[in-house]
Amino acid sequence: MTALGEGRSRDPADLRWSQAASTLRARGDQVIVLIVLIAIWQTASLALGVYWVGSPWGVASRVAAGAFSGDLLRHAAYTALEAAAGFALGALPAAALPFALRRFPIATAIIDPFMVGGYGAPKLALAPLFILWFGIGIESKIALVAITVFFIVYFSALAGVRALDAKLVQMAQVAGAHERQVVRHIVLPGAVPYIFTGLRIAMPYSIGGAVIAELISSNRGLGYLVQLGAMNFDTTGVLAALTAVTLIVFVGNWSVNAAERRLLRWRPPADLRLQAGT
Amino acid sequence: MTLQQPALDRAAPTGIGWQRHAIVLGRIGFAALLVLAWKIGADAAGPLYLADPIKVGQRIAADLASGALIRHAYVTLRLAAIGFAIGCTAGVALPFLLRRLPRLTAAIEPYIMASVGIPKYALVPLFILWFGIDDAPKLWLVGLLVFYVVFIAVFAGIRSVDRRLIDMARVVGASEAAISREVIWNSLMPFFFAALKIALPRAVSAAIIGEFLVGNEGLGYMIESARQNFDTTGVFAGIVAATTLVLVVNAMLTALDRRINAWRPADRDTQV
Amino acid sequence: MATAEPLLEIRALCKRFPARAGREHPPWVIRDLTFSVAEREFLTIVGPSGAGKSTLLNMLAQIETASGGEVRFQSQPIALDDPKALSPGLACRIGYVTQEDNLLPWRTMLQNVLFPLAVQGRLTPETRARAETLIRTVGLAGFEHHYPHELSGGMRKRAALIRTLVYDPPVILMDEPFGALDAQTRTQLQQDLHQLWIGGRKTIVFVTHDIAEAIALGDRTLVLSPPPAHVAGEHVIDIPHPRDIRAIMTHPAFAGLYERIRAQVH
Repeated sequence: MTALGEGRSRDPADLRWSQAASTLRARGDQVIVLIVLIAIWQTASLALGVYWVGSPWGVASRVAAGAFSGDLLRHAAYTALEAAAGFALGALPAAALPFALRRFPIATAIIDPFMVGGYGAPKLALAPLFILWFGIGIESKIALVAITVFFIVYFSALAGVRALDAKLVQMAQVAGAHERQVVRHIVLPGAVPYIFTGLRIAMPYSIGGAVIAELISSNRGLGYLVQLGAMNFDTTGVLAALTAVTLIVFVGNWSVNAAERRLLRWRPPADLRLQAGT
Repeated sequence: MTLQQPALDRAAPTGIGWQRHAIVLGRIGFAALLVLAWKIGADAAGPLYLADPIKVGQRIAADLASGALIRHAYVTLRLAAIGFAIGCTAGVALPFLLRRLPRLTAAIEPYIMASVGIPKYALVPLFILWFGIDDAPKLWLVGLLVFYVVFIAVFAGIRSVDRRLIDMARVVGASEAAISREVIWNSLMPFFFAALKIALPRAVSAAIIGEFLVGNEGLGYMIESARQNFDTTGVFAGIVAATTLVLVVNAMLTALDRRINAWRPADRDTQV
Repeated sequence: MATAEPLLEIRALCKRFPARAGREHPPWVIRDLTFSVAEREFLTIVGPSGAGKSTLLNMLAQIETASGGEVRFQSQPIALDDPKALSPGLACRIGYVTQEDNLLPWRTMLQNVLFPLAVQGRLTPETRARAETLIRTVGLAGFEHHYPHELSGGMRKRAALIRTLVYDPPVILMDEPFGALDAQTRTQLQQDLHQLWIGGRKTIVFVTHDIAEAIALGDRTLVLSPPPAHVAGEHVIDIPHPRDIRAIMTHPAFAGLYERIRAQVH
C-alpha cells in the first residue's frame, strides 16, 4: 500500500472496520467473562454447598418466584419508597437553600462550617437515634436518607449558584430583567448541571441508607429480607434480596441520568465528557 | 472638572473587616442557638427522645474518665486502620496489574463498574454468615468500601496519564516496571491522595456502622447497645464521640493535604 | 426634525478602580472625558486596546459606577456613583452588545433572541414576527432551534446582535462586537449592521480598535487617548449613506481620514 511497504493502513474505512472489530471482540470477551463467573459460582455452590453460596439457578428462580408472588416486589417497593421519599425530602430544601441565601453571602458564610461538619459527619451513625425517635417504621428510614442526601446536594447546589456567570446576569439586567427573572432565567438553569451532579452522587447513598436502617431494625423491606435470610441461614434468600437492591440502584441511576439528559440537552459535548468521568 | 472625593470612597469596597467580624459572631450565635434549641427540645420532649445536653456532656466525661470511651474508640480505629490498609493495597495493586492486561481489563470493566452499584453495607449480614461474628465481617466491609474508592481513583488516574510521557519513556528504553514506578506513580499522586482523603473517614464510618450490626466492642456497639437499652443519653454520647472522631480524622487529613501539596499551583480539581 | 439637545451627553467623566491594599492612589483609567451623541447618530470610538473603552460603555450602560463627572440621557442626569442606584440598561432604553456574545447556553437561538421581549413582557405576535424578520435578515434562518454550542462564532455574534435590536432600545452600545471574527465574517456583519441601521436609524455608540471599521460604519469618530483616557480627537466621516462597506477603502475620503485618525491613536 504505502511506499514503505508494510505500514498500517491509514484508510479511514479500514480504521472504522478495525474499531468495530475490536469493540466486537471486547463484547465477546465480556460475555465469556460472564459465563466464567457464573461457572465459578456454580462450581462453588457444588463444592461448598448451596447453603453457603447459593447457586445461580437457585437465586434466579427465587427472584422470579418472589416477583411473581409479589412478595419480593412488596419489600422492594417499601425500600424504594423510603429511598425516594427521603431523597426528595433531603434534596429539595438542600437545592433551594443556596438560592434563598444567594443575596446574603454573610448567612452562607455563617452556616458554612456547620454544613461542612454535617457533610463530614457520619450520618448513617444517626440510624439508631432515628429508630429510637421514629420507631422501626418507615419514618426513621426516610429521615436517615433525607439527612444523608441533604448535605451532598447542598454543596452541589451551592457550587452551582456560585458558578454564576456575572456577564450573563448583566446581560439580562440590561435587557430589562428583574431580580426574580434573573434567578429564574439565569441562576437556576446555570445551577442545574451542578445540582444533577449532586443528585447523581446522592442517589446510591439514599438506597444504601434505607437498606442499612432496615438492617438494624425493621420488619419490612429488602434490608429486612437480607437480615432475615442471614438469620435463617438462607443464603439464596439473601442473594435474591441483594439482587433486588442492586436492580433498584440501577433503576435509580438510570432515572437520574435520563432526567439529566432531557433537561441538559443544551450542554456542549465537551462538558458531558467531563461529567461522565466522575 | 470636579473630582468627587466621596464618590471615590464609595467606589472602593469598604467594610471588609466589618464583614469578617459579623461572620464570626454569626457562627458563634448560630452554634449557641443550636445548643439552646437542643436544651429546650430536651426539656420539652423528655429524656427518652432528646437527652439533656448537660447530661450528655457528663456521660462523655465519665466515659472518658473510666477509659471506656477510649477503649471503644481504639477498637473502632484499629478496625478502620486494618480495613483501610487492606482495601488500599488491593485498590492500588489491582489497577497496576490490570494495566499489563488490557484485554482482560476491557472484558471485566463493566462488571466492576456494575458492582459499584451494590450497596456494600447490605452485604454485612452475608459476611456475618460467611465469616462469623468477630472482626472479619467488619474488616471485609471496611476493606471493600476503601477498595472501591481507591480502585476507581487509581484506575482513572492510570488511564489519564499523558500517553506521550509513557511513549517517551519507552523510547529511552525504560522497562514496564520502571514506567510504572516513574511515570505512572507520580502522575497518579493527586488522584490517589484525593481518594485517600475520602476513604479514610469513610473507613471510620464504616467501622462504626459495622459495629451496629455485629460485635460487642467499638463506638458503633456503644451507640447501638445504648439504643437497645433505651439509654438515650448513651446514644447521644456515642454519636457525639463518633462524629467528633470522624471530623477530627477529616481535619487532620485536610491539614496534611495542605502541607504536602502546598507547592502545587492549582490542583483543586480533585475535590469531591 | 433637528433636536437641539443631544441624546446622550457625557461631561468630565472619570473612572479609577478601587485602591488595593498598599496602593494609595490607583491610576485613573478615564479622566475628564467629554463628548455627546446626537439622536440617530452612529458614533464610533477608537482607541488602543485596554484604554478603558469597555469601561466607558459599562458606565453608560449603568453596569459600573463612575468616579466622577456627569452623564445625561435625554437631558435627564443619570446616577453615577452609587452602586445601588444603578439601573442597568436604563429601563431598556440603552441596549448593550458586549464583546462576548453572552447567549444563554440553555436556550435555543430563537429563545435567546426572544429573551429580552420575554422578560419585558412584550412577547406578542408582532414582536415575534419582528424577531423572525431579523433572523432572516442576518442569515440565521433555519437555525432557530439550535443551541448556542451548535452555532459557529459568527452565528452567535449575529444572534447576540439581533437580540438587542429586537426590543428596539433608542440607544445601542456596541463593544467591539466583531472583534473575534475572521475578516470575511466581519465585513459581512458590518454590512448587515449598516443595512439594519439605515433601515431604522437608531443611535449607536460603537467602540472598536479597528480604524477602518470605525470609518466604515460611523458618522463621526472619536479617538480616545491611552489611560487616563480622554477625547484626543474628533473626526466627521463625510462619506454619504448608504455605504458599500466592502468597498469603503476605495472611497476617496477614506485614506485621508485613516491617516489623520491613525496619527492620533499613537
